[in-house]
Amino acid sequence: MAANFWASSHSKQQLDPEEVDVVPAADRERGITTEEFRLVKIHMSSHIWRLAQQVKVRQRVIATAITYFRRVYTRKSMTEYDPRLVAPACLYLASKVEESTVQARLLVFYIKKMCGPDDKYRFEIKDILEMEMKLLEALDYYLVVYHPYRPLLHLLQNAGITDLTQFAWGLVNDTYKMDLILIYPPYMIALACIYIASVLKDKDTTSWFEELRVDMNIVKNISMEILDFYETYKVDPQRGLSDEKISPVMNKLPTKA
Amino acid sequence: MSNGGGGDEDAGTKRVADRYLKREVLGEGTYGVVFKAIDTKTGVTVAIKRIRLGKYKEGVNFTALREIKLLKELKDPNIIELIDAFPYKGNLHLVFEFMETDLEAVIRDRNIVLSPADIKSYIQMMLKGLSFCHKKWVLHRDMKPNNLLIGAEGQLKLGDFGLARIFGSPERNFTHQVFARWYRAPELLFGTKQYGSAVDVWAAGCIFAELLLRRPFLQGSSDIDQLGKIFAAFGTPKSSQWPDMVYLPDYVEYQFVSAPPLRSLFPMASDDALDLLSKMFTYDPKARITAQQALEHRYFSSVPAPTKPALLPRPKLKGDSGNDKIPDLNLQGGPVVLSPPRKLRRVSAPDGTESNIHRAEKAEEIPPTGLRRHTDENMSSQSSRIPMSVDVGVVFGTRPAPRPTLNSADKSRLKRKLDMDPDFGLVRHFVLVWTMSFECCLLGHYAARHPTLILSSLPAYYMPRRLATTYSMLAHVIPPPPPEEELSHDDFGEFDEEVNEETMRNAEWSEGLEPANPE
Repeated sequence: MAANFWASSHSKQQLDPEEVDVVPAADRERGITTEEFRLVKIHMSSHIWRLAQQVKVRQRVIATAITYFRRVYTRKSMTEYDPRLVAPACLYLASKVEESTVQARLLVFYIKKMCGPDDKYRFEIKDILEMEMKLLEALDYYLVVYHPYRPLLHLLQNAGITDLTQFAWGLVNDTYKMDLILIYPPYMIALACIYIASVLKDKDTTSWFEELRVDMNIVKNISMEILDFYETYKVDPQRGLSDEKISPVMNKLPTKA
Repeated sequence: MSNGGGGDEDAGTKRVADRYLKREVLGEGTYGVVFKAIDTKTGVTVAIKRIRLGKYKEGVNFTALREIKLLKELKDPNIIELIDAFPYKGNLHLVFEFMETDLEAVIRDRNIVLSPADIKSYIQMMLKGLSFCHKKWVLHRDMKPNNLLIGAEGQLKLGDFGLARIFGSPERNFTHQVFARWYRAPELLFGTKQYGSAVDVWAAGCIFAELLLRRPFLQGSSDIDQLGKIFAAFGTPKSSQWPDMVYLPDYVEYQFVSAPPLRSLFPMASDDALDLLSKMFTYDPKARITAQQALEHRYFSSVPAPTKPALLPRPKLKGDSGNDKIPDLNLQGGPVVLSPPRKLRRVSAPDGTESNIHRAEKAEEIPPTGLRRHTDENMSSQSSRIPMSVDVGVVFGTRPAPRPTLNSADKSRLKRKLDMDPDFGLVRHFVLVWTMSFECCLLGHYAARHPTLILSSLPAYYMPRRLATTYSMLAHVIPPPPPEEELSHDDFGEFDEEVNEETMRNAEWSEGLEPANPE
């Protein structure tokens, strides 16, 4: 479905910015604030990322997994759907959907290896498989997701600034620590990343952007959100959020029965 | 989910998930049971597939997942509709619109006469569905008459997206083990790993031909034989016709055969039909007509106009009386050229084979049991009259060979291994010669072209058995085939943990750039 994002289920599922950071009632009762809700999502996104590096899947699979993860929490509470289980289950489902299956038992193995003694993160194969089914339902069986990577390459080529590819690609990766993919069309996210990259690397792309006839206000808004994110969170690319920051929040969530 | 009733094995009036009234089981497929049900919310009849959970802990069946993923995106009048999906008692259930029959049942029902306008109507609906898929960058990869479902209003819809996948990104390798063999395009038979919508168009061409002939057009008994059949029909391709051919992984040189006039293969077809057919059977996939271009072909604008779907002939359904009201004379009225005995024998074919199970997968695909039993009896009495040593059916390509389905891929993979492994070069040569000669002895008029007729004096039934033993003898020396990057349908059927782990390890991981999949 390369050609037509607009006719896809992904486009029909786009949300307004106000719709994504709504803390579900059950989580609010546990004292989780909007900020903490966001922190858990950042933390679990990098958890998915690190786990994916262990089991070695394509980047696209990771992006899809994180999109699933974020979609789930626009509809379900973390109290009911333990993010520590939802995260690997999303990776498992995404790997199947993107046709590069990872076995559940390998995920279980690498989770154990990664998380060491913290058994709140440990799950059995059967837990992941059960969650897979619940995820399908929570996602309303819409599984095809579009990502900014492909438009990014096309646009960079079109603008003749392919030397920015590496940098812009990294920026796109980081957008998955936010909910942008649920709100904006992928090519707009790609444009925002190109915009940031070109400003930071002193490339003049003004005339190219003008010719595109896209709403530059949206591009700039997305860019601001990305820059704000970097400023606020300073997430360590290797380890994710610091323990002091995330542990108190995670402790508010119920652990597995 | 709220669990309503008790054991959901028994058909009756059990409610599934508080919404669907369960009716009779329609069939059992490779990944679950299909039953008829009434949607109590809408009163509509539906077909529900219950997806069996794999016993190898692979979670939701991979094939089912593909269907869900793609059918949620593909909404078109000529594509089967996935109405709903829900988990119930630990199993995933998929709710499809109920389809009465399928094109295979139409083709083989000898009581049905298909006029040129009827054929045009079917082909047009098929191409519309296919063109929609391709517009959405989806390859169907399992086009065959029994995946073309026919609804109560006569509309034809593409079904079974269990093998379908998104395409369009360069440098992604796909498995060539797709399609039932008779519908496989030559580039797939030559082992290409990068292909596009042209493979579906080739299969659509085969279905077109099958509608005209009322029997499968190119019934190869192996991949090599399939290519032989293709070349016998359209001539061995020259490199000027298909420049990339010689670079394909499994390319083997075939002796040059020139093409008989297409007209001689389809005596009843109109000139426009023949022209469209020849364009769908173009060797070079790059030059092959697309589904959309085919729809714009003058065949569809010239007379006769395609029959309105509601007026198309349909096979008798179970419960319909007057099964044999239509006299056999009708056969002479249409483009049916087959004599009844052979026709019957073909119907009987797949007995207890995998293909049979596969076919039973979809409710809608099950021919009316009454009718089938009737033909079966006829058949056995017919075949007992035919002498064992000379199989007339084989000679005319109407042999009651089981329709190959994907499950035959396992065997052909083994064969491919034989064909490609340099250590087995000799064996390969031997097998090739053998297959060739096998064909020769069956197809008399090709005999002159193949000088190596050492074995042709052996009785025909002896050949396949010898071939089979050769393979089984070699099987234990041959290392398992290398894991394919993409796991196909079959890989999941026979879930091989070793291979899968290996596949997983080999999966690409790019730190920086990678050619992303299509957006």
